[in-house]
Amino acid sequence: MVDVSQHELVPEHTLIDEEEVESMLTQYDVKRAELPKIKRKDPALPDEAEVGDVVKIVRDSRTTDKAVSYRLVIE
Amino acid sequence: MSMQTPKEIGAIQFGLMDPETYRDMSATKIITADTYDDDGYPIDMGLMDPRLGVIDPGLECRTCGSHSGSCNGHFGHIELAAPVIHVGFTKLIRRLLRATCRDCGRLSLTPEEQEEFRDGLQRNEELGEDWTNVLKAAVRQARKASRCPHCGAPQHDIKHEKPTTYYEVQDVLAGDYSERIASAMQPDPDNEDDSGVSPSDLAEDSGLDLSRVNDILSGEFRPVGEDRKKLEKALDVDLTEEDMNKLMPSDIRDWFEDIPDEDIETLGIDPSRSRPEWMILTVLPVPPVTARPSITLDNGQRSEDDLTHKLVDIIRINQRFMENREAGAPQLIIEDLWELLQYHVTTFVDNEISGTPPARHRSGRPLKTLSQRLKGKEGRFRGSLSGKRVNFSARTVISPDPTLSLNEVGVPERVAREMTQTMNVSERNLDRAQQYVRNGPEGHPGANYVKRPDGRRLKVTEKNCEELAEKIDVGWEVNRHLIDGDIVIFNRQPSLHRMSIMAHEVVVMPYKTFRLNTVVCPPYNADFDGDEMNMHALQTEESRAEARVLMRVQEQLLSPRFGENIIGAIQDHISGTYLLTNGNPEFTETQALDLLRATSIDTLPEPAGEDEGEPYWTGKQLFSELLPDDLNLEFTSSAGDEVVIEDGQLVSGTIDEDAVGAFGGEVVDTLAKVHSKTRARVFVNEVASLAMRAIMHFGFSIGIDDESIPGEANEQVDEAIASAYDRVQELIEIYEAGELESLPGRTVDETLEMKIMQQLGKARDSAGEIAEDHFADDNPAVVMARSGARGSMLNLTQMAGCVGQQAVRGERINRGYEGRTLSHYQPNDLSAEAHGFVENSYRGGLTPREFFFHAMGGREGLVDTAVRTSKSGYLQRRLINALSELEAQYDGTVRDTSGTVVQFEFGEDGTSPVKVSSSEDNPIDVENVADRILDAEFSSEEEKAEFLGRKELPTNISEYAGPGLDKARSLEVESDD
Ligand SMILES: [Mg+2]
Ligand SMILES: [Zn+2]
Ligand SMILES: [Zn+2]
Repeated sequence: MVDVSQHELVPEHTLIDEEEVESMLTQYDVKRAELPKIKRKDPALPDEAEVGDVVKIVRDSRTTDKAVSYRLVIE
Repeated sequence: MSMQTPKEIGAIQFGLMDPETYRDMSATKIITADTYDDDGYPIDMGLMDPRLGVIDPGLECRTCGSHSGSCNGHFGHIELAAPVIHVGFTKLIRRLLRATCRDCGRLSLTPEEQEEFRDGLQRNEELGEDWTNVLKAAVRQARKASRCPHCGAPQHDIKHEKPTTYYEVQDVLAGDYSERIASAMQPDPDNEDDSGVSPSDLAEDSGLDLSRVNDILSGEFRPVGEDRKKLEKALDVDLTEEDMNKLMPSDIRDWFEDIPDEDIETLGIDPSRSRPEWMILTVLPVPPVTARPSITLDNGQRSEDDLTHKLVDIIRINQRFMENREAGAPQLIIEDLWELLQYHVTTFVDNEISGTPPARHRSGRPLKTLSQRLKGKEGRFRGSLSGKRVNFSARTVISPDPTLSLNEVGVPERVAREMTQTMNVSERNLDRAQQYVRNGPEGHPGANYVKRPDGRRLKVTEKNCEELAEKIDVGWEVNRHLIDGDIVIFNRQPSLHRMSIMAHEVVVMPYKTFRLNTVVCPPYNADFDGDEMNMHALQTEESRAEARVLMRVQEQLLSPRFGENIIGAIQDHISGTYLLTNGNPEFTETQALDLLRATSIDTLPEPAGEDEGEPYWTGKQLFSELLPDDLNLEFTSSAGDEVVIEDGQLVSGTIDEDAVGAFGGEVVDTLAKVHSKTRARVFVNEVASLAMRAIMHFGFSIGIDDESIPGEANEQVDEAIASAYDRVQELIEIYEAGELESLPGRTVDETLEMKIMQQLGKARDSAGEIAEDHFADDNPAVVMARSGARGSMLNLTQMAGCVGQQAVRGERINRGYEGRTLSHYQPNDLSAEAHGFVENSYRGGLTPREFFFHAMGGREGLVDTAVRTSKSGYLQRRLINALSELEAQYDGTVRDTSGTVVQFEFGEDGTSPVKVSSSEDNPIDVENVADRILDAEFSSEEEKAEFLGRKELPTNISEYAGPGLDKARSLEVESDD
């Protein structure tokens, strides 16, 4: 089986801890549910991701070197 | 006229409506299908009952007492003889039938399952996702239960026959069960060993009593439940048949009434707003007459609205239904009438249901009923709400006018007389207002309407204008014609980007076309081959201010698509600046002044030198007059030389497309970003004027002889092509000998094709080079190609040297006859000429066969553009719908209307493409910024302090407020009085 998450075009998805989630939520003044979503079954997610977790995604960007975004894991 | 305070809509809640509410709302019950009596008066309790509102002027509404226009109309109602299904809810009805118990009406889910789905619903709401997903999942789960978990009643499958019929499907014992058993007990005729099954064997196999088996075989006992299953198993036979029991709308209504409120909530429906039984109609609301006005034809006959026709049908059937039922008609007749009533109510709601023949008008045209009014491009949403026809707009053909500023638009006087602006008369503009009214609606600048302080509007006519002008006083409003300097919005379809709609200042002109400066052609993608454009006159002070500040052409110089200027010199402007600056020609005083005549430069600089006692000025010098004194730039031009601008003086290099052109001309781009939009606008206007003068000074034309090359060059071209033919022939021979080696990943055939194409491509290129060598530098086609004004060297090659290989789908032309492209060739001829190589030039002329191949290639291009525009139009619509409500917030995030983050930083870097420097290396031109700061520091302390203090750019809101040509000075005479 190919592990899609290791493909070079799939950006890095990392789970972040509750503390970081909270500070991010305050920084952007958003509720958890207002974050973009990602399905738990998504192969790009780390295996231990659970519904309700937040992942940090660091992508290569054409305008900046690295662009950071966050997604809420949903069912 | 009373003023109405605007109210803000807090929320919109959708739900079903209680039949009781229909009755309460109703102004009257409708019982008769007749509309008007013989005298032409509406019949009471008919479809045109005056209590439903009025459409004829002069009549009074019997419900609210107001006249037509101020009465919005009132709903009536029809009491349906029997309940019917609302077509809009057939899917939900099917789901509810499948998910609830046929006996007790409860949802076939255990309390735990119910709990789970309620949680799911809550989660869905928090995440802002579609609640129907939960509904679907709950129904899927509930449908699995074969028995009700609450009362234990067995559940049957529901079959839905579109659009509005539902059946309960149930397996029951077949009528011929004894025959089926008997035949299964017979021995198999193909198998001699099989002696069949005796009743005692059967009793043993199935575990039933022998006497019971005998009773069953004789048909005296019906095997049901367990007995049937045992028999079926023992004999491997199916004893059941499907029983379809039709559910009448009344049955469904009774069923739904039993569903408890809590169970509905689990499905995501709010029971306080929508009870499921309300999906079965018992009362039909009758739309007010104002929603279905009848029109009077020329011959005095009334023609009713489609909805009225449909309502007439419903009432007629409703009456027949009731009469038949009272007369005790047979069930069959009643059911037929019921179905007919259902059909009419269904088509009243939606007349485009698949599987149902649409209700038609007498003429055969399908009726436009409720759904048809809302759906589609011309429907209420897309046709009347998202887009509508507007007043104060004009459309006409456009034509060019190089004397206008790029901020301006020439408006025909006829249009200016029609479009008006509201003037609030005060002490300061009283004289002008009176003059406008005095000029009347026909004179320009005149006025069309005036409004008295009491709110009454009066039309200005040729007759009353003198009289009315005297009455005008402070507090009146005057709707005056458009005059020079007014701001309007200008647009060309397809409006694919922001710059397709820009604000222009009006210049009223004679004749019938809109006039615009040619430098605004690129943003609109306009040309003058018959293009039409739209103009909108703005009607409020706020909109006019916003248009001036945000939408004026000069504010749109930079395109957000690529962050550089989209407005600049084009075509002849570029040829003009090229001629002016390439080779640095000299001009006498008269010539120099003539070149700068249409600009704001009115004094010449020190002459560059003297020629035979006469002072002269150079082209670079004259161009430099248009540049600000503090401009410093270095870049490479399209022509290939290094352009150096020092302190606003063009030191060396040619000014061409890369300097002043639209789509990223360096000078224009820098002026717009570093100096100001106003400075850039002045520059573009003046460059265009100077360039036009320059090109006229030198003279610029092109003819057939400009593409001809000397005889020896032609021979060279022929030689190059002949040698290419030889190489192609060699390749073919190698191929036919089977010795051609294939390229990696290609077949031998593909390799041959590629190599041939390569050789022929080279042949065309060398023909081009030969031709190019023989063109003079002042050849107009060469000037245009080098400067980037129009055309390319390839175009020249094709005109003078060789047109080259024609291609369809990127390959040589291969189609046509079997094994050959045309019947002129031998089958399987692989040569260049047999597959569309055009060795002639456009100037020399193509052979008939070449011409035919050329047409094939040309046609593909045309088809491609046609397909591309239609595809991209649809894509554009989808994309815009998807992006339309996204907004960049003050915190830098991009969010949709519900607050969900779409991008954490706008564009990932949080910068606007038009605000960053155009330099490739760094988005912020630190070097330049630092240079400028240091410059300021070195001059003097005061200047340094001034520099460090914030430098406000002067606000420029009009062509009339300078800089540039001083329009205000030429605007002394206001009226023609
Ligand atoms: Mg056109
Ligand atoms: Zn009314
Ligand atoms: Zn039940």
